[in-house]
Amino acid sequence: MAQAPGEVLFTNVRILDGTGQNPPYAGSVRVRGRQIVQVSRSAAATPAGDALVIDGAGATLMPGMTEAHTHFSWNDAASLAGIQTMPLEEHVLWTAKVARSYLEAGFTSCLGAACAKPRLDVVIRNAIEAGQIPGPRYLAASQEITVPGGLGDEMLPHLPFPEFSFGVVVNGAEDLRRVTRMFLKYGVDSIKLNLSGDNFVPGADAKTTWMTDAEVAACAEEVRMRGKRIIVHARSCASVKQALRHGIRLIYHASFTDTEALDMLEAARDEVFVAPGIGILYALLHEAEPWGIDHAKAVAMGYEEEWAAACESLRAMHRRGVRVLPGGDYGFAFNPHLKNARDLELFVKHLGFTPMEAIRSCTLYGGQVMMRPHELGLVKEGYLADLLLLDGDPLANLAILRDAKRILAVMKDGVFAKKPPVAQARAWERAA
Amino acid sequence: MADVLFTNVRIFDGGGETPFQGEVLVQGNRISRVVKTGWGARSAPVAGAQVVDGAGAFLMPGMVEAHTHFSWNDQPSLESIQRMPPEEHILWCAQVARRYLDMGWTSCVGAATAKPRLDVVIRNAINDGTIVGPRYLAASQEITVPGGLGDTTAPHLPQPEFAFGAVVSGAEEMRRCVRMFCKYGVDSLKINLSGESITGMPSEMSQFTEEEIRTCVQEAKAWGKRVAAHARSTWSIKQCVKHGIEVIYHASFADEEALDLLEAHKFEHFVAPGLAWLINTCHHASAWGLTPEVTRKMGYHRELDAAIESMKAMRRRGIRILPGGDYGFAWTPHGTNAKDLEYFVKYVGMSPMEALLSATAWGGPMMKLGKQIGYIGEGCLANILLIDGDPLSDIGILQDRARILAVMKDGEFHRAPPVRQARTTRWAA
Repeated sequence: MAQAPGEVLFTNVRILDGTGQNPPYAGSVRVRGRQIVQVSRSAAATPAGDALVIDGAGATLMPGMTEAHTHFSWNDAASLAGIQTMPLEEHVLWTAKVARSYLEAGFTSCLGAACAKPRLDVVIRNAIEAGQIPGPRYLAASQEITVPGGLGDEMLPHLPFPEFSFGVVVNGAEDLRRVTRMFLKYGVDSIKLNLSGDNFVPGADAKTTWMTDAEVAACAEEVRMRGKRIIVHARSCASVKQALRHGIRLIYHASFTDTEALDMLEAARDEVFVAPGIGILYALLHEAEPWGIDHAKAVAMGYEEEWAAACESLRAMHRRGVRVLPGGDYGFAFNPHLKNARDLELFVKHLGFTPMEAIRSCTLYGGQVMMRPHELGLVKEGYLADLLLLDGDPLANLAILRDAKRILAVMKDGVFAKKPPVAQARAWERAA
Repeated sequence: MADVLFTNVRIFDGGGETPFQGEVLVQGNRISRVVKTGWGARSAPVAGAQVVDGAGAFLMPGMVEAHTHFSWNDQPSLESIQRMPPEEHILWCAQVARRYLDMGWTSCVGAATAKPRLDVVIRNAINDGTIVGPRYLAASQEITVPGGLGDTTAPHLPQPEFAFGAVVSGAEEMRRCVRMFCKYGVDSLKINLSGESITGMPSEMSQFTEEEIRTCVQEAKAWGKRVAAHARSTWSIKQCVKHGIEVIYHASFADEEALDLLEAHKFEHFVAPGLAWLINTCHHASAWGLTPEVTRKMGYHRELDAAIESMKAMRRRGIRILPGGDYGFAWTPHGTNAKDLEYFVKYVGMSPMEALLSATAWGGPMMKLGKQIGYIGEGCLANILLIDGDPLSDIGILQDRARILAVMKDGEFHRAPPVRQARTTRWAA
């Protein structure tokens, strides 16, 4: 699998550069080591030299996608408890397998949004960086930090052991500070707080808000001190505002907003990212029947109301220039891993994005949310060679981005994670 | 899974015959045809099979490692294996499992794991395709007594989590321990019957009571599991025969009585001496502070001499001696396991043919698969290596990854043979 570091020359490709500004153009792209060293706008032949030449035959070359809200350790179970009960050893291997599958599916960067056991994300990130396992660039998250009774507290009254809890349950500012410090010690890139409830949790629906300002402030102080990032589960209007008040710059969901919340978001739009995780709302409303959530039940749980509110909120954010990114809560039975690119289609269909804007949300914005805007997310000279080769035009049909057969090749850091198929002349092989 | 036809290969079929020129057809996960070819003999036509022209390469059964520790992490001490956190440890095991397959070991017998569930989880993950690795039998941790090999707790840190092995004292603790590992799903229980000089308890000492041993074996048999013993001392070897402990690791200090016992029950036991540990600890561990002077004082040079004599005697008596053992320390790194075959030739006096058979023909029963593996024969599972060169004239080439041209496990190439590259241009669509 290892590929000698050398040059790769993609010729005869349609370049979709990821900026969201330029229509695709014919050209060639040269990769040397980890970097894109040349992007040429000409269809004319380029001297290949020693490079491995990939003749794209008109395929689209675009930046690798970024998933802004990733849970590698969610195990495609139908409940949080079903994720939590997986033993640690199996869980690590599962997480490694998912990481590899995301990369091969075209996500060259993923932003961890919470993991199911304390060290899973950190260990997987380290293993990827050390080259021990294949996977996307990854920012590692903590577990979900929540309060008693909130989203993520899976302890039963007669089994009050923290090991049974999906998230880490804290109470009070100093408790939150201690837990924050523990995760920072483990080496996370982000601390995840569950500020709001979720319709999935009886008694803690999406419109409820759970943490005190003192708790959030204690966490924010610790995180800032160590140069890390807070990310929040914030479905309710109050939780979105609370996040913004505390200077939190990556907001997940943001379904319910009012004018004040939208004004606050717009005022911070150069710094704030919103990743709504729209896919799971859609799936619960329309596709969860095999797991006991038929449409009527989903409506009763409040998902129809939330879907309508979220579409309205996100359309408004998009109009106001707030960066809305794809990804979110894939890894449940009804919203399984690797369907992630469907978010882009939902953005176009329901949130008023153009296909070009949808692409930009996982390329240009992806590099920004990964905190590497100067070198990640574009097909541009000097940028890291994270590239996809696609059979077809994603601007005409975004669905090809979730079709393994149409993703001809995936390159990360100049190395193929998925090699382009080679025309096989014979079925005959010589061993020596 | 496409059918594969190997043509133009020299076949070592595991039966002890001289290799012959021929062809091997693999259909599904099994070998469906083995034919001799030669002047005037025509190969049967095949439709739809992938043809691999071996160009005279040596085709042999995949090898069986009889004493494997995937979870040893190439460190110089038990403590530093133990201190690896469980998340990193399981990823390490997965990486090592793949490496064994890479190096031609298509089956491995777990000899002990460093944390309770590592072996079981890795075996299951290999079987369900989550990770890539050899066919594997999962072991328990090493079961030991306070102060014995594997008890790495310190007086001021007595928590069991600090112990490399599972420390028990008394028959009922042994029973509880065996039951726990059986519940976890191991294939075999590992019991440390003798000491190990580097840990402070000399190899010639034996630490368990008869009652504890009896309880271990009894309970394991009740669950249908196998018992394997770390047995360097004379007494411990005899205990293995007495209690029906099938797998005997090391067996360095076998006296006449022990040899007679083993010979009388030679098809009930497997012996895997793990000579690599002794040889390399005596001679190649200076970089880690274990100079020959130090290891001589520990008693390893005397043990190495004794072990060589014991193995020579066992070989003469037809006792099954298998390769593998204690790779995964700093001076016996994973992947170099085929050195055992060279050691068998060099120190024990085996012919290269006998050494190859020790890794193939004896491997089937060691894996509890009879003659389904370890042979190139019709109906056998297609575990096949393609070797560049002749291991019968140079057993050392099996240590060289580049000489192992292809590794097939259960009819699927883990490593396909290299294909001659005609051009560097590739067409993407």
